[in-house]
Order: sequence, then structure tokens, then C-alpha cells
Amino acid sequence: MKPARALAGAAVLGAWVALALGVGPVRGQAPATDSCLECHSQLDEERLVKPTRNFAADVHAQHRLGCAGCHGGDPKDMDVTAMDPGKGFRGVPGYEQIAEFCARCHADAELMKRYNPQPYIFSMAEFRTSVHCKKIAEGDKKVATCTNCHGVHPILSRKDPKSPVYKANVPSTCARCHNADYMKGRKVRTDQYALYRRSVHGKALLEKGDVSAPACNSCHGNHGAVPPNTQNISLVCGNCHGREGELFAASRVRDALELAGKRGCVTCHGNHDVQVPTDEMVSTRPPGLCGQCHWPNSPGDKATALIVPGFHGLKSGIAEAESLLRLAEEKGMETASGRELLKQASDQLVSVRAVLHSFDRVQIMTVLNEGAGLASQAARQGRAALLDWRNRRIGMALSLVVILALMGLLIARIRRMERGAAPAPEGGAPQARG
Amino acid sequence: MPGGGGPPARPGWREWLDVRLGLEPLRRLAEHKEVPAHRHTFWYYWGGMTLFLFGVQVATGILLLLYYRASADEAYESVRFLMTQVSFGWLIRSIHSWSANLMIGAALIHMFSVFLLKAYRGPREVTWLSGMVLLGLALAFGFSGYLLPWNELAFFATKVGTDIVGDLPLVGRFLLRFLRGGDQITGGTLTRFFGVHVAILPAIATVILGVHLYLVQRHGMSVPPGVEAAGPARRMRFVPNFLMRDMVGWLAALGVLALLSALFPWELGVKADPYAPAPAGIRPEWYFVWMFQTLKLLPSHVGPLEGELVGILGIGAAGLVWTLAPFLDDAEGRGPRARLWSMLGALAVVYVTLMTVLSYAWGGNP
Amino acid sequence: MKRRDFLGWMTRLAGTTLGAFVLYPVLRFLVPPRIPEAVTRRVAAARKDELKPGSFKTFPFGSQPGILIRTSDGRYRAFSAVCTHLACTVQYRAADQVIWCACHNGIYDLEGRNVSGPPPRPLDRYEVHEVGGDVVVEKPKGA
Repeated sequence: MKPARALAGAAVLGAWVALALGVGPVRGQAPATDSCLECHSQLDEERLVKPTRNFAADVHAQHRLGCAGCHGGDPKDMDVTAMDPGKGFRGVPGYEQIAEFCARCHADAELMKRYNPQPYIFSMAEFRTSVHCKKIAEGDKKVATCTNCHGVHPILSRKDPKSPVYKANVPSTCARCHNADYMKGRKVRTDQYALYRRSVHGKALLEKGDVSAPACNSCHGNHGAVPPNTQNISLVCGNCHGREGELFAASRVRDALELAGKRGCVTCHGNHDVQVPTDEMVSTRPPGLCGQCHWPNSPGDKATALIVPGFHGLKSGIAEAESLLRLAEEKGMETASGRELLKQASDQLVSVRAVLHSFDRVQIMTVLNEGAGLASQAARQGRAALLDWRNRRIGMALSLVVILALMGLLIARIRRMERGAAPAPEGGAPQARG
Repeated sequence: MPGGGGPPARPGWREWLDVRLGLEPLRRLAEHKEVPAHRHTFWYYWGGMTLFLFGVQVATGILLLLYYRASADEAYESVRFLMTQVSFGWLIRSIHSWSANLMIGAALIHMFSVFLLKAYRGPREVTWLSGMVLLGLALAFGFSGYLLPWNELAFFATKVGTDIVGDLPLVGRFLLRFLRGGDQITGGTLTRFFGVHVAILPAIATVILGVHLYLVQRHGMSVPPGVEAAGPARRMRFVPNFLMRDMVGWLAALGVLALLSALFPWELGVKADPYAPAPAGIRPEWYFVWMFQTLKLLPSHVGPLEGELVGILGIGAAGLVWTLAPFLDDAEGRGPRARLWSMLGALAVVYVTLMTVLSYAWGGNP
Repeated sequence: MKRRDFLGWMTRLAGTTLGAFVLYPVLRFLVPPRIPEAVTRRVAAARKDELKPGSFKTFPFGSQPGILIRTSDGRYRAFSAVCTHLACTVQYRAADQVIWCACHNGIYDLEGRNVSGPPPRPLDRYEVHEVGGDVVVEKPKGA
């Protein structure tokens, strides 16, 4: 074989082997050469290989930040010298250093703006207010830091449904630690997740997939997670339940509850296992909740004695109007205007359940009375429609009687006319007599 | 006329009108007009019944005009207003809607009985032709009036109906745009249909009706061939005998209208929304249903032509043949040709009835 | 003969009664009803100084609720208060200067445009006129 040909053949073979071994640019990742991924993916130790798996899904990778973006070093250096601290290599942060490690970029507004004109800027100061951060500072290693919630290698965007901090996944992520097993030996409640799943918020988020429903972070905060204190609770709930929150904040009950050391909205609605409120809650006698504070014959009790009947009166007024209107509709009568009034009355019923949170007798009774008025107007329309229906049938029956009578008389006249075979005089005005 | 001797002291109002309007010939006609009385006389009443119901339509229609508004924004609301706020508005409207159906029913009975009794024979050919025009006008009245409440059913029924017109060869596209006032059914369509329903059709109908009634007076009532063969028929006086019998029928019709309006008031429906999908089971009014069902039963293609087109042309051809019956049937109404035409007439009645019943039995799904 | 006269009289009576049965509804029909118009186009929503600047009021406009807003500069705006998402009644949040729907957090700006949340379309805008001592809300021409 000629030497030139042999050399060419060896070069081809060598290139082929090199390619087969995966040396060279690795599958379409950015940056073009990332020595970290290349080397680490081929190591034996699982601990070192694991971070390279699925790295393309990492939100940092998608923004063209490779391993060096967080860990420093030189990704173009194919040798171990890539991990030279002189080249900026930071290595793996210790547990208590993780937050500052991430904050290096995420708390830097200028840097974050390069990736997103409206970025979320992490605040170490905020994180330091949280129970998690405080515990970490005490040396507790069983407390959440960034990677426990956001995951690590790959860190997925919170908009990704596979991310542990995707809205619908947040409760189960928190429950990874906030459960009886993990928290053994600590004096914290561990039933939150179980309660939440039974709650109306939990069912909305976890069963119906409604991401507008609150998860743990919606009320407790994200990075500054703390249990909210009394005043904050009604502000928190009021974020979504605006009207109730505003009315409650202006009411006397808010101050009274604070003085009594109770916890705002939670006093009546619970926190983790909030259920759909029912009208039975409004009463000083069980299952009503007002009796928690208002003793019999207190001014509050007297107020409920006025409100509760008004409430039930409105509901029964609406029910009565509804049944009258439906009866009329079944009989084929038009009930549109009655229905409109009924809808307005129902709107007042929905409204009074919110206005209740003002705990102001005057406001509440105004809405109740307005609703009751509308409901009785609607009922009146229903009754009028039914009366109309009855009158129509009576009118029809009478006119049929007249028509049949007239038909009979005409037929009798025809018969008589033709039996005699004599020309019969016309009925009607008498002719001019001569 | 005054009896007894001597001129009356003062002329009565009848004489006064007579001198000025020349009513004497009319009075003579009324007094002397006679109607053949035989076993088929029952069918003679149906023309008058149709006329009576048309009168009901004109009266109730004029009343409705006082409250109806013919714009897409206001039509439905004005009908709703009429049904709920106006005294007896529900009654006038329900009578108008029911009487429309009864009138077309009476017209069809009238036409079929005329056909089967061969009353179209000479010299009554023009009477027959004018009658066919009147039937067409009645159907046009029905079709245009149906859209006016601007509810969902009406909107889509009109859409389907005008779509079928659009399928006609050559003229279809033009006719569709002419009927709809554009390519789609819009408020412009409503205005156009309204103008047709309350002005154009009434004007034409008045003229044609006048011709039809004049011709009926001129030629008198035809006697069916079978009765003719038995010899000259007994006759009854039009006034008062026949007319009183007519009135009994009209009273019955009035009673039926009262019953239907009180027990089955005409529905308001849901306001038309051009962007909403068509509800299931759209069907035109019952008098068009047999054509509709025929088209539904045809296969999608017959030879090189679209099935629907074949259906439309076929129905059109059948209608033409039907209209030309006086010229194609035997002049005396006797013999094998006459029997053939009687059979065709009977078949037509059976076919139309069957198609109508089937469509309702199958709920619009063949 | 008496019987013939009797029958004739009965016939006339029945005929007249029938005539009355026909004429009475027609005459009643011709008399206009209390509310003369089918479609509500304008409504007096509030008294002149009923609303303070930065507050709002929901009022009935025909069969549907309307919302009248007095912005902090003292001027009025009016819209249909029917949220275009699922027809809840909207309210005005003076602090944020937005119209807000409590049902699903839909937000409209002061032009009625849907700016956030589920509502798919803006709110219908009405014209506001101050007439005498009233603030009158009217549907715009062609609406």
C-alpha cells in the first residue's frame, strides 16, 4: 500500500473514532464548547455526572449560561485547569452559602435586566426576614434554601409545569419538608398540606387546575416566607377578595379581633382548610361563628337577631319569586322583566355576603332590604303573569261560547230557512216598510 | 226596495248610495248569484275561507305595524315589547302567526280540491293561473314574514332557504343577492323583507286577488265532471244560504284561532346572532318542509349534477306541469287522460303529506 | 212567529257580543302602554353631586347594570357593568384607577379596554351628559 494512502486512511479512521467517542462539539448546546459538560458527562462517579443530564432544559442554559455562568472557571479549557480559581472558578457552594451564590446574579438588577426588561429581582434582605434563612444562619441544614424549592441541574423556569415551583406544584414542594416525618422533633404544625388539599383553594388549584387560586407562596410570600400576623392576614386575603378585605379593614371587628389576639379572617374562615362559606355561619348559635365572641343579649347578638332573619327573608323571597316565575314560564307566559328583577335581587344576595364583612348593621340591612324589595317585585310580576294566563283562558272560553252560540244560531236559521223552502227575510235592520 | 204604493217620503241611504256609486248591478248579482248544491259543495267553501283568513292577516298585520320596528337592532325587542307590554299584543301577534299557517293550509286545501274536482277546465284556466300566482304570493308572504321577529330560528331558516335559491343555475347567485340585499343575511335583509311583506306583496296580491274574484263571479262555480254527468245540479242562493254557511265556517276558523292563540301562544324565541352556530334541527315552516325533505333524501350526486340541484329543478318542473294542468288535461274532464290527471293529483297530495309527516317524524334527521 | 223573532234577536245579540269581543282587544291594543319604548337608550343614573370624585355607582340601565365613574378630576365615565368574561358586575378601584371584576380578577382601564385577566372584549362605553340636576347616561348613536 502506498504511504500517502495509508496516512489518509488512518486520518479518516482516527477522525471517525474521535467522532464516535463523542469528542468535539456536543449536541447543539450553548456555549459552543463547554468543557465542563463534556468532561463531566464522561466521568465514572455518579455524583459528578448527574448535573450534566438534561442540562439543555435548564432555564440558565436556555439563556446561554453554561456551567461556568454560575460556577465560574473556563469552559474553553479542556483540561482540569478549567477549574482554576484564578480563572474565576467558584466550585460548589456550601449549604449556607447557596442563597448568596444565586443572589450574586439574581439580586443584581443591571444584570437581570439584560435577560428580561421586567425581571424579578431577588432580595437577600427579604430572604433574611424568612424563617428559612434565619434557621440556616443558626446552622440548621434541614431547612429550605434556593435549590430545595427551585431544583438544581436542571433548574426549570417556574412557568414550566414540570418545575417544582410551577404554581400547581408549589403545595407539594412545600410539603416535601412540611410533613410529620420530616419535621419530627420540631415544634411546628405539619398538617398544612393535608388541610390545604381539602380546602376550596386547594381543590381549585390541584383538582381544577385553576392557577389563579392561591398556593402556599400566595399568602406566605416566596422568599420571605413567614406566617402572616393578624393585621397582615386580612391584607393577604384582601389581595384577591378585594371587596371583603376593604370592608373588613374599615370595620370595628378587625380592631376587636386584633385586640383579642385572634387572627383576622382566619377567625371565621380558617386558613389552610378554607371552605366555601355557608350562610349558616352567620349566627350567634352553632353552627354559626358569631357566638365565638358575641354572648347572648350583647349588642352584637341583637344585631344578628336583626340581620339573620333579614338574610333568610331575602333568600326565601328569591325562592318564592323563582317558583312563581318558573310556573308562569311553564305555562308559556313571558317573564323576561320578572327575571331581570330576580337577577338583580340575586345580585343583592351575593353582594350582602360581601357587605357582611363591614359588620355594619346599617349597610347590611340596606342591601338586604333592597334585595327583598326587588324579590317581591319579581314575585309580583310572576303572580301577574299567572293571573294573565288565567284571564286569557277565561277570555278564550267566553269567546268560544259566543262563537259556538252564534254558529248554532246560524245553522238553526239555515235549517229553518230551507225546511220551509220559502225565502226567509234577512236578519238585521228591518227593511223600509211600505 | 220599498214596497207598497206611492214614492217614499224621503229616499233611504241605500238609494242615495246607489245613485252616486252605481251599486245596483252589485245588488242584482248578490240577489241572483247561485251556487250548485251537490255532494262536493263542501269544497266550495275553501276559497272563501282562504279569503277570510287573508282578511284576518291584513287586519292583524296593520295593527302590528303600529309597534313593530324593522331594524336588526330593534326588531326582536319590539316584538318582545309587543308580547309583554302592549295590551292584547300577545293576542294580535299570535293570531297573525297562527292565521298565516291556517291561511296557507286553507289555500292548499282549496288548490288540491280545485285540482281533483277539475274546476280548472275551460273557461276557468285564467282563474286557475291567477290562483297559482296567489299561492306563490302566499308562500312569499309566509317566507318574508317569518324573518321579521329576527329570532334564531327565523334567521337560520331564512339562511337555508336563500342558500337553496342560490343553488339555481345561472340566476341563483343574482337571486340570492337580490333577496338578501347582499351576500349575507343582515339588517339590510330585514328591511328588504319588511318592504316586500307590507308593501310590495300586498299591492300585487290586491291586483291578482281582484282578478281572481272577478273571474269567479264571471264564470260562477264549476261543477265536477262526476256530478255533471248525473244531470243539472240543484242550486242554492248565494245570499243568504251559501253565505250563511260560509259564515259558520268563518266563525269556526275564528274559534280555532282563539283557541290556538290562548293555548299555544306564538313563541318569542332567542334573538338572532349571526355569529353563533346554527342550532340543530333547523327547518323551514311546515308548508316548505316537503320540498326540504325531498332535497334531503336525494343523494349528493345524480349523474354529473349535484343532488340538490336536481331536486330544485325537479320540484320546479313538477310545479310547472301542475300549473299547466288545465291545458294538458282533457277539456271535458272525462276519459283516460282525465283519470290520469286525477291520479297525478292524488299522488301529489299523498307525496306532499308523506314528506311533511316524515320530516317531523324523523326530527329533521333522515 | 215569536220563536223566529226570538232566534233573530238571539242571533243579533250573539253577533254584537262577538263584535265586542273582537273590538275591545283591538281598541285596547291601539292605546299605547305606560312604557312607550321597547329599547332603553338613556337613563338618569345619578344626581349631580351624588358621586364624589374618585367614586363610582352601579345603576340599572334597562335590564342590565351600568357603572358610572367619577374620576378624580371630577369628570364622568359610564360603561356597561356586565363583565365581558362571565357577566359578573364590575366595580371601580379608585386607588388603582381601574375597573375591576371581583369574580376572576379581570381588569379594564378607564377607557373600558380589557387590559388584564380573562375578559375577552372591552366594556361597552356609554355617553354621559349632565342635564339639569341629573347625570344622564345614554347609549351612543348606532349602538
